[in-house]
Amino acid sequence: MIWRFGLFDGTFEPLASTHWALVAALGLPLLLGMLAARLPPRQAWPVLLASVPVLASGLMLLSAYDQAGPLRWQWDIAGIQLSLRLNGLSVLMLLMTQVIGVAAALYTPGYLRLSEPGPLSRWLWPLMGVVLSTLSLIWLATDLLTLYAALELMGLAAVGMLMLSAKASALVAGMRYLLLALVGSLTYLLGVALILGHWGRLDLPGLAEVVEPGPVAWFAAALIGAGLALKAALFPLHAWLTPVHESAWTPVSALHAALVVKASLFILLQLWSILLPDAFYAPRVIAWLGMLAIVWGGLLAWRTDSLKTLVASSTVAQLGYLMVVFPLLLGPDVAPLSRALAWDGFWLQLIGHAFAKAAMFMAAGNLMLATGESTLKGVAGTSRRMPLSLLVLGVAAVTLMGLPPSAGFTAKWLLLDAMVRSQQWWAIAALLIGSLLTAAYVFRLFRYSFYESAPHHHYQPLAPGMDLIALTLALAAFALGLLAHFPLTLLHGGGA
Amino acid sequence: MIAFFEAIAAFDVIEVLLALGLTGSALVCLFDRHLVRACYFFVFFAAAMTLAWWLLGAPWLAAAELGLGLGLTGPCFFYALGHVLPSASSSLERDTFSEPGSRVAMRVLLALAWFGMVGAAIRTVIADMAYSPLEHPLLLAGVVIAASALGAFALHRHLLRRLLAFNLLGSGVFMLLAGVAGTSAAAQAFISVGLVVAWLGTMLGALLIRRLLHLEGVEALGRDGNPKESAI
Repeated sequence: MIWRFGLFDGTFEPLASTHWALVAALGLPLLLGMLAARLPPRQAWPVLLASVPVLASGLMLLSAYDQAGPLRWQWDIAGIQLSLRLNGLSVLMLLMTQVIGVAAALYTPGYLRLSEPGPLSRWLWPLMGVVLSTLSLIWLATDLLTLYAALELMGLAAVGMLMLSAKASALVAGMRYLLLALVGSLTYLLGVALILGHWGRLDLPGLAEVVEPGPVAWFAAALIGAGLALKAALFPLHAWLTPVHESAWTPVSALHAALVVKASLFILLQLWSILLPDAFYAPRVIAWLGMLAIVWGGLLAWRTDSLKTLVASSTVAQLGYLMVVFPLLLGPDVAPLSRALAWDGFWLQLIGHAFAKAAMFMAAGNLMLATGESTLKGVAGTSRRMPLSLLVLGVAAVTLMGLPPSAGFTAKWLLLDAMVRSQQWWAIAALLIGSLLTAAYVFRLFRYSFYESAPHHHYQPLAPGMDLIALTLALAAFALGLLAHFPLTLLHGGGA
Repeated sequence: MIAFFEAIAAFDVIEVLLALGLTGSALVCLFDRHLVRACYFFVFFAAAMTLAWWLLGAPWLAAAELGLGLGLTGPCFFYALGHVLPSASSSLERDTFSEPGSRVAMRVLLALAWFGMVGAAIRTVIADMAYSPLEHPLLLAGVVIAASALGAFALHRHLLRRLLAFNLLGSGVFMLLAGVAGTSAAAQAFISVGLVVAWLGTMLGALLIRRLLHLEGVEALGRDGNPKESAI
């Protein structure tokens, strides 16, 4: 498992241009966010212009990885070793973050113009910048201190973003999220204290060499796991998730559900693969909880009347799919082929869900903005007036349900293959039930939207491009299924 | 028994006094319903923490605690109370929320279970703790503070009191971290980052509390739906 995360020395030194690409990828989102706070963009084109160098930095890092393989950076500051690595997985995550981040940023000016958000809206830009910069740092960092600092900054900025709508319900939900996230971070810190006290080092490659299974590793893994599960909204610690999204702005919800919760999951898997290699019970507990998450999240989404709750609850269920894979990734006695398949399926599912969920939040936001309603009944009869938004919802839902030829399908195919090979029948049952439940809540939404008799008086016209951005993201999730060899090659290259 | 008394005798008087001061002020801060007094005791606590880091041989942390804890986090609480930059909405005086007994019992039980796990974790590595709790009363104080802060965090509904409880829990955890890992450069860096995070979180929380007061009045500060999540 450890080599898959690229926790070893690279063969080549990074070139000077690669250094600059790294600085740009980590710093530019923050810088541009600050700039946008001074001069808030009213149109999408300045945002588009500003996102060119960000995307270019990602592509430069991709080509650097293509040419030189895994790269490492290391600094020694006052006796503390900080290090970054660039392997196939982190390049993939970085590109995903940049594309979704740019899409959310492009969506924002139109959204803010139409929804009359009040004086707090200019704060959205720097907070978004902090979230994107720290996310990029999390995909690259390989020492516990950088991971901790980046995770906390990202969490605080995410809380800030979610509460910008300044409604009382958003504030109450946000305050609860803030307090839980802060206590979660202290739990993580206690786990780190055990690691630091026992092994005396913070760099993950070094830890991977010295950690041996034992009570210290177990307790550290439990503490770190509890803290991160709380932040990643893993069942049963997910209850803060839906209220927080209920009254948040659309681009914020899209960023949060697509990327922010995934960062904690990424760190969790990375640290557990060091602390608990070949553990039997811990990954299985996560998998059982994941099965419950699939069913519970699906039921919540099926029963709800609110459009945003539906989309947010479906995140809980989709995270469940990822939790179910844990025994295949971390457990003992898994055949190498099953493990490789599970590894591919895990990340493809994560990426596919990120694109589809961002698209779905934007489409739902478009519907809500245009109709002024936030319930399923409120969007009744929209099929005639807003076919494009519904199309986006449909395309995104295809990925979530795992129908071919989407990324969700390819990912689930890989996962099913791995599960059949290692005879995890429960996990297979959970995957199938999850797909059925997803179909149930998606078609419930569509049934409402095709009501012809619903009277509707006034539709707010959307800004140009708002539907198009959502459609692009949904199609990207689709295309990832057809062109899965691109991300899979990057994932395989992690240690070659 | 004799060994225990010898261990007590080996305690440094200043350290004992400081540990008692820390624990006492933490308890008042956590369990006093009079919010203004609780916040004053928080400031006192932060000052005592500064001294404690100094005694534990971490001058940089003492500086960080002085700047971040005393200088920046403390005023956040007074802002949340409405004593700094008074605005249209009223200032906070007392916590008047009460809880049904069964919920209190459940929350305390959950907090105890959580703390039991943490305690067991620390017990397993006690062999290689940098500072033994038997020699350093400050670490014992850290354990007591973390335990009672966790209890208070689970127990209270008032948002300001939960924010206070989080800050004290943080201080207790930092103290434990220093106890387990020593005051090496890495541990100091972790604690400094933790202090910055606590300050930013408190600032955000204080802004939120003022805004909520402005929108909905005092009642909103106790509106915490689900006991399931709040006990974690």
